Amino acid sequence: MASPSTSRIASPADPGRAASPDSDAEVRSSAARPAQADLFALLGVAPRYDLDLKELEAAFFAKSKELHPDRFASAPAAERVAALTKSRALNDAYQTLKKPVPRAEYMLAAKGMLITDNERLDPAFLMEILDLREELAEARAAGNMKVVEANQGSMQTRRKTTLSELPALFAANDLSAIKDRLIALRYLDRYLEECDAALDSDD
Amino acid sequence: MLFQISEPGESKIKEACKQRVVGIDLGTTNSLVAHVADATPEVISGEGGPLVPSVVHYAVNGGVIVGRPAQAKALDAPRDTLASVKRLIGRGAKDLASVAAMLPYELTSDERAVSIKTTTKIVSPVEVSAEVLRELKARAEAALGGPIEGVVITVPAYFDDAQRQATRDAGRLAGLEVLRLLAEPTAAALAYGLDRATAAANGGTYAVFDLGGGTFDLSILKLVDGVFEVKATGGDSALGGDDLDRAIATAVLGDKLTGAAHAIIGAAVAEARRVKEALTETASATFTLGDVKKPVTRADLAAWAQPLLDRCGKACRRVLKDAELAKDDLDGVILVGGSTRSPVVVDFVAELFGKTPLSELDPEQVVALGAAVQADVLATGRDDVTLIDVVPLSLGLEMMGGVVEKLIHRNTNIPAGATQTFTTYADNQTGFDIHVLQGERETADTCRSLARFTLRGVPPMIAGMGRVEITFLVDADGLLKVTAKELTTGKESSIEVKPSYGLTDEEVERMLVDSFEHAEDDLVKRNLLVERVEADRILAATRQAFIDDPEMLTADVRAAGETAMTVLETAMKGEDYLAIRHAVEALDVATKPFAQLRMNRAIAAQFEGVALDDAARKVGA
Repeated sequence: MASPSTSRIASPADPGRAASPDSDAEVRSSAARPAQADLFALLGVAPRYDLDLKELEAAFFAKSKELHPDRFASAPAAERVAALTKSRALNDAYQTLKKPVPRAEYMLAAKGMLITDNERLDPAFLMEILDLREELAEARAAGNMKVVEANQGSMQTRRKTTLSELPALFAANDLSAIKDRLIALRYLDRYLEECDAALDSDD
Repeated sequence: MLFQISEPGESKIKEACKQRVVGIDLGTTNSLVAHVADATPEVISGEGGPLVPSVVHYAVNGGVIVGRPAQAKALDAPRDTLASVKRLIGRGAKDLASVAAMLPYELTSDERAVSIKTTTKIVSPVEVSAEVLRELKARAEAALGGPIEGVVITVPAYFDDAQRQATRDAGRLAGLEVLRLLAEPTAAALAYGLDRATAAANGGTYAVFDLGGGTFDLSILKLVDGVFEVKATGGDSALGGDDLDRAIATAVLGDKLTGAAHAIIGAAVAEARRVKEALTETASATFTLGDVKKPVTRADLAAWAQPLLDRCGKACRRVLKDAELAKDDLDGVILVGGSTRSPVVVDFVAELFGKTPLSELDPEQVVALGAAVQADVLATGRDDVTLIDVVPLSLGLEMMGGVVEKLIHRNTNIPAGATQTFTTYADNQTGFDIHVLQGERETADTCRSLARFTLRGVPPMIAGMGRVEITFLVDADGLLKVTAKELTTGKESSIEVKPSYGLTDEEVERMLVDSFEHAEDDLVKRNLLVERVEADRILAATRQAFIDDPEMLTADVRAAGETAMTVLETAMKGEDYLAIRHAVEALDVATKPFAQLRMNRAIAAQFEGVALDDAARKVGA
């Protein structure tokens, strides 16, 4: 290849990412955020995994009323810029905390445990996922959407079960068990995306 | 209720000091303007009522006529009478073919944008839209007794960055200070939420079903105590009332319409619209054009509308899913847009959502009313209303190999921001080509190109060592700004994304639909592209290293390396991305001892005199 003086961006800087399409966006968005920003404090809610979603939403709405750029539409430029920055940080915090997986990943990262793209997987689990994917691909190729739907249903149940283990693990501060569950969840979510793709293309 | 006690004349003074601001619904078929008086929004009427047809006639003598009088010229001078221009705003040459067939006037384009060729001149969709806005501005100034100081203009929720920018430009061209661009369904929700007479005033989760002349949006909002949060939004642009008119004309006339003159198509579509509107009141009507006389029933209309409504239903299901809601979670469905007057549409919505849709406020006026409220909020700083809207389509960057890396996902609350770090691809690379994209698909050629720019002056380094930090910022109008910063030098470059050409509504919508239909194909294609690029890079780097540092290479390692490279080259010719990945890994293992030696030397050279800990940290070891 000719050596160009300028070139398109090569890849996201996380090592090994390009080689691992199974990982998804969460790790990058949390990596992009300064680790020291305390998202719970930003929203003014207690820092716990099993938070009350209604309380979180109420806190987000209350803070939005204060910080939304509309409040500062006729303020001096410096204040407008400051409000925009704060409002953006608030939206980002809410987006991370309102869903269980990004929330758990953020809390894990805040405790210094990051999920990279080169995590070792339990070989038995990996084999199982590969088999399930193969089954899904075959069902899709054969146009057998009943099988796709059945697989989707059982995977959703499994995802729920895995998620339901998290509150107790956070309470016990068992970080490595949490990490295992989160890695597994990435594979389960990827599988569910493939189910969606199969069902959507059938519409 | 207590009476407000005030000095005589005080409210007049307040009224006089208050900024004169209005909200404008710039529609495909009709436009209108509204303002807030005594805390209540109301539409401003002129000759012929509040609706101004979005039609502009360019007379051969150079005069410009807007609205109803222009509409009257449509049959005599189709080339000079421009309707449905909203379908063209913010579009480029690429979009020309798909929109040209629908419009009874002549289009042309350069590489920047689509324009319209009248008999006497070439005008841009931005200019034509500005004429409509000028008419509304004149109306408002006559009614309010002075110059308009600010305006909120509504846009379809799924409008992309280019279409939003072009709409803002039209406002500027009409001499208006554009305070904000506001999504149409969000505006409608605002009007509903603040009107004490509606059920929505008590709050809850609502879907806004907005079917206009040429645009379809579905947004789901949560209303709580003055806060309006958009949970998810989506659209299907082939679902305007215009499209239904064409479907009726095509169904009645069949082959006679293909290749017909502009004037004939115009007349057929106008008659189709008349029949459609008549069927709102009666069960049957007669389509009459020249020799053709054909009775049309409401059941016929429902059958012809079905393909369009099915696409609409698909978009609705996707938005519900994005919002993580079931239809039973909704407190109500609000109807917006002139096309929702049709009983065929009302029945469809009722069945789709399993509840009687709400149309307490006039579906043709409600968007302008909401825009007026937002203008009032921005001008007065009143704090009883807070709107939290979203990005309608994901924003990302093109990576080496043509894949797209999304930085901001669709349905993220705005204002939004995202920062990500990227590395250099080649040794001694001195610049980064940055290509900004919008859309849901996985590869660059299937997304909308918004802007390109280059960051230069990167110091020459080994591939992967150069780092650039890229930041996307989306403001409260939904407009994007991109900043790039080279991390070793701190050199910075930024761009207000000014799209050079547009994308059709059809393309936006198709991109969304396609991303679902092709999600799996895309993934395989993406994986293959990523693996091939990586393989190319590693092969080139390994060969160069073998030439540069033969003294670090043992005979065993060289032989193993050569074999692994041959295997990799063979794998790259195939379509199996996993085979390529495994071959890359094998090459990595084979050359590891050699790579280790080289790395040690690189560290020593680059950080001579630096403590070893520091050096290790800098290379990320």
